[in-house]
Amino acid sequence: MIKTDIAVIGGGPAGICAAIDAAASGARVLLIDRNSQLGGQLIKQTHMFFGSQKQHASKRGIDIPGILAEEMKKYQDKIEVMLDATVLGLYEDWVLTVEQNGKYKKIAPRAIVVATGASERFPAFPNNDLPGIYGAGAVQTLMNVYGVLPGESVFMVGAGNIGLIVSYQLLQAGVKVKGVICRSPKYGGYAVHASKIRRMGVPIMPQHRVIYAHGKEKLERITLIKLDENKKEIPGTEFDIETDVLCISTGLTPLGELLWQIGCEMKFIRELSGHVPIRNEEMETSIPGIFVAGDVAGIEEASSAMVEGRLAGLCCAKRLGFVNPDFDELKQDYLKQLHDLRSGPEGDTIRKGLAKIVI
Amino acid sequence: MLKSTGIPTQKDLETVVPSKERLAKGPVAIMECFEKIPCNPCYTSCKRGAIKEFEDINDRPQLNVDICNGCGVCISNCPGLAIFVVDETYSETEALVKIPYEFSPLPEEGTYVTGLDREGKPVCRAKVVKVQNSKAQDRTPVVAIAVPKELSMVVRCLSLDDYYSDNTIVCRCEEVTLGEIREYIRKGYQTIEEIKRISRCGMGPCQGRTCSQLILEEIAKATGQDVADLKVHTYRQPTLPIKLGLLVGGEDDE
Repeated sequence: MIKTDIAVIGGGPAGICAAIDAAASGARVLLIDRNSQLGGQLIKQTHMFFGSQKQHASKRGIDIPGILAEEMKKYQDKIEVMLDATVLGLYEDWVLTVEQNGKYKKIAPRAIVVATGASERFPAFPNNDLPGIYGAGAVQTLMNVYGVLPGESVFMVGAGNIGLIVSYQLLQAGVKVKGVICRSPKYGGYAVHASKIRRMGVPIMPQHRVIYAHGKEKLERITLIKLDENKKEIPGTEFDIETDVLCISTGLTPLGELLWQIGCEMKFIRELSGHVPIRNEEMETSIPGIFVAGDVAGIEEASSAMVEGRLAGLCCAKRLGFVNPDFDELKQDYLKQLHDLRSGPEGDTIRKGLAKIVI
Repeated sequence: MLKSTGIPTQKDLETVVPSKERLAKGPVAIMECFEKIPCNPCYTSCKRGAIKEFEDINDRPQLNVDICNGCGVCISNCPGLAIFVVDETYSETEALVKIPYEFSPLPEEGTYVTGLDREGKPVCRAKVVKVQNSKAQDRTPVVAIAVPKELSMVVRCLSLDDYYSDNTIVCRCEEVTLGEIREYIRKGYQTIEEIKRISRCGMGPCQGRTCSQLILEEIAKATGQDVADLKVHTYRQPTLPIKLGLLVGGEDDE
């Protein structure tokens, strides 16, 4: 049994920041991640980030783990990192079970920050299991981590920021992007991301849906249908497009399995993209000592995930009696950063969702 | 509409395009950022203070065009790649447009590229004047291209495909383009005789008077040979297309 003050589950932007702030407050932290390097999805994000300097705006996602690792070094006597380790269960006696390199391990923390992130949503349509149909995360992993092209031409389903950004990255890699569809009359991502691929000649096609994939051994073409303004299919408007890759980026959903296991009170909040834990402004769930941060608390951007992580780490440490001398100041700063990031029209949905879940 | 097509409308653009008078004074940034999103690196990167301080991080950038000198530092700092610099004083007929370009290979200074509009449509041939790729730009190089002045607010992207050359007619009789010729050469048709047979170049009314020299030059360029060493095509009679009747009639004195 490994003992620690705080176990941070998930080493993405939220988890790393939680570990840093918890350690900065004086707590011993065990940061657990299933991959062999920290960073979560950041390690695939070759584009520049939005936000302000405090959230490393204008830096590339791929460079942020390095910046955070530098900051972690200051607390290396406090933070232990456990890589290639997947948390299997969180039990009522607060024991975490972990699989690491084929070995089974148990961890007994006094408090926990769950920063497990999200999983991809996948639409159901006939033949969606053909080789050549990928999630956007897989396409990014192939291209940006392993340097492998997913195919010759890609059709993108979903025009949120991920769909638009991955389309841009595909163009950078020299892959032809045949088009990007979304169901709504307006695409969901930032206009600047859309304009960036549009001026490279990629058509953005709102009010379309993929209804069928064709191919024998692998994907050869897809059938699309037009939708009316209420996202209803318009019969007779089907047409085919040839492509060897279909990339799906139809959104993410919070990965809250561990929270369910331990019995945190969960609620389905559409605006936050799925079931999320009820929590207070300090990111503490209905179970005292269990905190959340990042996408598991509701799908947002990496910038807010990092701030939520810091807030959760700071407050989780305090819960155990490790009170940062600047606690009040830091907490107010983090809350203000989050408020600012969410205050614009793009934050409307998030604000609505949070109003239903933060007590 | 921007939020369904990704293409800013004329109305959107009116809010960011400086006056004619300002454009006539020299380079200036054009901030094509039309949506309130939480982002402010343009403000923090401008050392001249030309961008008004953001009260709210979701503010759209407000540029004081009289303070902005078009230095372009903001271009590589904008995560949305939404900032361009336009210099309409570049020459009598051309404007310089600075474009963030995160693709490889980068164009070479002095070469020609194709200027694309906001829809990615080719609109002009453009000379690459400068390519900046400094450490401070952190992998967002800026390419300055010279475009016809009237397109200074139209060209916002570039392609290394030589669209205009590729669509240039080489054989006017048979309407064969330079692009097609280059493609045949790439595929291995590397003598003019072969290209003639596959493309019909030189089989029209002029019998190759225009195209044969051009094709020889293209073959030479693509294969690294001297035109002097290339075989010309076989010259056969007649030199011009004639009516069969002319031959059937025979010579006058027969």
